[in-house]
Amino acid sequence: MNKKIISLLFLLILMVSITATYVYFSQKDSGETQYDNSDKTVNDADVANEIDDMFLEEDDEVEIGDIV
Amino acid sequence: MKKISALLIMLMMLVSISSLAVADEDGENQENNDMDVKTEKEIEIMNNSLGAEIRLLQLQKALLKNILKGEMAVQVLIGLGFNTTENNTTELESILTEMKELLEEVKTANTSSNESVQIFVSLKNQSKNLTTQFRETIKEMLDDVSLQEIRQRIKEMLSNELENYSKRIRNLIRQFNYNQLYRLYGIVGEANSSFVNDYFNGTLPLNETKLQLCKIINQMTKDKKYEIFSEIKSENIRRQIHAYDYLEHMGDKGNGKGNGRGEH
Repeated sequence: MNKKIISLLFLLILMVSITATYVYFSQKDSGETQYDNSDKTVNDADVANEIDDMFLEEDDEVEIGDIV
Repeated sequence: MKKISALLIMLMMLVSISSLAVADEDGENQENNDMDVKTEKEIEIMNNSLGAEIRLLQLQKALLKNILKGEMAVQVLIGLGFNTTENNTTELESILTEMKELLEEVKTANTSSNESVQIFVSLKNQSKNLTTQFRETIKEMLDDVSLQEIRQRIKEMLSNELENYSKRIRNLIRQFNYNQLYRLYGIVGEANSSFVNDYFNGTLPLNETKLQLCKIINQMTKDKKYEIFSEIKSENIRRQIHAYDYLEHMGDKGNGKGNGRGEH
């Protein structure tokens, strides 16, 4: 009987760990790009990304969904 | 001993159910969240009347496109025999009438009003709601094969009115980007602004213009480059925070995340 309890406890711990891991990894990040600015260096791609954010593409559209 | 086992089994079941609930909630929220993110991105440029004008014109175009497609779908349905007392297109036509009224409302919205963001979000939600209503109604009337056929028939729809909207929107976006380029040149401190005029005249594409700007910035000293980057970044963040705050504020009032006409 003790063995049964131990194995059930083990299973419980396993399930709690799986749940905790799932919740941790399914949490969305803020979507904000992180930069390492400790030495005041910025790479070219980061500059290009920020510049892109300032403009609108000429074919930009507002989406309300397809009617059919 | 049996009681302990039963308790443990119950605990395990509870853990499993809670993890399932978490997963389900995530799925449900995903779609709403995506829509909110898009709207948030859209209102970022609405801190001036030009940005508001662009978004409201884009909404008009999206609504008009759906109205025209909806009308074509109704014609196809009538051709298929949906003109009897039992089977008819009355409900679809009444949704289209509501959409037309809404389009008129969007056309008369004041772009320079302080409430333009709120008006845009509310009108966009109503447009999405009516579009969904039409889609769900037609789905109940036809099978998948017929729906696919209708989609194919209205896919290649051509309209001068839509084309005019596209041109007007493109011109306004070009004006918006022109203003942004000027601001950017102000931050960079570069006197030569021929790229800006070339872009505005249509002789230099936007991507090329951005590339030229990046080149100028990347050739600067490390400190100057960092300074410019920080300034651009802070401006972008300020705009994002402003849009996020606005949506949150509207959400508190009960308008931001609503989808219905009744909430208006």
